[in-house]
Amino acid sequence: MEHPVRKSLLMWLLLSPLVILILFPFAVMVSTAVKPRVEVLMYPPSWFPSEIRLQNFVDMWQATRLGPAVMNSLLVSIAATVLCLLVAIPAAYAAARMEFTGRKLFRQFLLVTQMLSPIVLVLGIFRLMAKMGFVDQLPALVLAYVAFNLAFSVWMLQAYFQTIPKELEEAATLDGASTMQRMRLIFLPLAAPAIGITAVFIFIYCWNEFVLAMTLLRSPEKSTLTLQTFSLVGGRYQVEWDHVMAATLVASVPVAAIFALLQRSLVSGLTVGAVK
Amino acid sequence: MNRARAPANGKIGRASAPYLLILPSILFAFWIIGYPIYDMANMSVHAVNRFGKTAAFNDFANYQRLFSHQLFIGCLIRTLVWTVFVVGGTVLLSVPIALILNEKFFGRTLARIIIMLPWAVSLTMTGIVWRWSLNGQFGMVNATLREFGLQDTPIEWLATSTAAFPILIAIGILVSIPFTVTVILGGLSSLQADVFEAARIDGATAWQRFRYLTLPLIRPFLNIVLVLNFIYVFNSFPLIWVMTQGDPANSTDILVTWLYKLAFRYGELGIASALSIVMFVILLALTITYAALAMRNERSTA
Repeated sequence: MEHPVRKSLLMWLLLSPLVILILFPFAVMVSTAVKPRVEVLMYPPSWFPSEIRLQNFVDMWQATRLGPAVMNSLLVSIAATVLCLLVAIPAAYAAARMEFTGRKLFRQFLLVTQMLSPIVLVLGIFRLMAKMGFVDQLPALVLAYVAFNLAFSVWMLQAYFQTIPKELEEAATLDGASTMQRMRLIFLPLAAPAIGITAVFIFIYCWNEFVLAMTLLRSPEKSTLTLQTFSLVGGRYQVEWDHVMAATLVASVPVAAIFALLQRSLVSGLTVGAVK
Repeated sequence: MNRARAPANGKIGRASAPYLLILPSILFAFWIIGYPIYDMANMSVHAVNRFGKTAAFNDFANYQRLFSHQLFIGCLIRTLVWTVFVVGGTVLLSVPIALILNEKFFGRTLARIIIMLPWAVSLTMTGIVWRWSLNGQFGMVNATLREFGLQDTPIEWLATSTAAFPILIAIGILVSIPFTVTVILGGLSSLQADVFEAARIDGATAWQRFRYLTLPLIRPFLNIVLVLNFIYVFNSFPLIWVMTQGDPANSTDILVTWLYKLAFRYGELGIASALSIVMFVILLALTITYAALAMRNERSTA
């Protein structure tokens, strides 16, 4: 075997270009977000500001109305995650556990809808929401997010559900448990980790989504976080980059932290779901 | 649930239970996804004004106008270049990265977390940060290049039509790597060590072991990653929209960004719906390929 230290150094060396490219935007975010405004537009720019101005975050929070946008994003993401799970869990249970005619068709149907991206359908979705009077309403976003996450959620959940042994439920049935008891006491506790991981994926999708939010929402006070941050950059003559970078940092760090903490289970979850 | 309430007519309840369980998801999909497809298909074969009012059937004139539009061919070619380069680059880079991350070394968990990071950050935010980093005067890309003596005069990366598109492709690759590496790693971790040990004892070199053992064994995973990435990248909107909006002079427009402009900026609803349907058909073809691969994979692992 090779020397472990030498090997580790070699591995990090090989990965270093990629690691630098990945961390580069984070460094830019931090560097610009804490710079005094005069230094943001100073030539030549420097990585290190003369002082670390945390006050930028406070100023940004007030100037960019990020608070309401965070609330909107939270509301939409949580509502969509819950609703999506409520619809997906029964379907996944049926797809994983029950024999029925058309089961294969249903699974194919899932695969096909999984592939459709909002951008290709955005015009039709806008017209549908307009017809229902939902344009510029947050529920429109919730409905659309649920629709675009359903196939993925059902697919991932049913892959997990298949790994939960049937025998436990069968034993409970023999002991006289009702369907509801079986669900509540045996199946759902065993399925909880899978449901949790699926929820995280749905939540991150909603939190980060852009096209549908940009199309379906109109008034600034309805904006979600991505939309509000984009509005600080798009179509503006003068961009206040210190505020923008502080906002992107606020928007990205929580999700990146969740992702880093749960990395192992998210990754193993996805390999069960996506590949199986 | 139905079963619990109707034990008396158990047989009927039993048979309909799975359908009741999947019904909400199907209704949802038909409502929010199916109806818009129908609506756009319908709009694409009728005369339609800029407010979306449809009139008479117009002999596929919308499709004719789409295919003869001066920007169509350019966007189509750029979409192909974009997709092929991003997907190709992603997979070519992800295989060695996954091989490295599959080895045991100090700090491997940290390396895995760093490489997964771009996945968690929204493409919109990534696009905004890179747009600022690539700013000609105040961006840190030029500043860093100059500090290392690699550049004399600052470049306006995103305003130069020859530079903007390759840069977008590079960033597209960067953000596609995490998912791809994850799936390939999943494939690598399913390999059995003793086969490789036997090959090593038989004197197979590292390259031979990779070429004749690893590669064929992770082939199903590579197939899935190729098709899925193809679909994601073909549909990729936020990066380009946030960084260049298709500029300078439409030189970075791909089909999805052009579609958005047609529908919501130029009010060309007829052409936009025709383009949506064309893209839908392309995606459907890709999906069928994927479904075939996934089903085959499922059968072979079951």
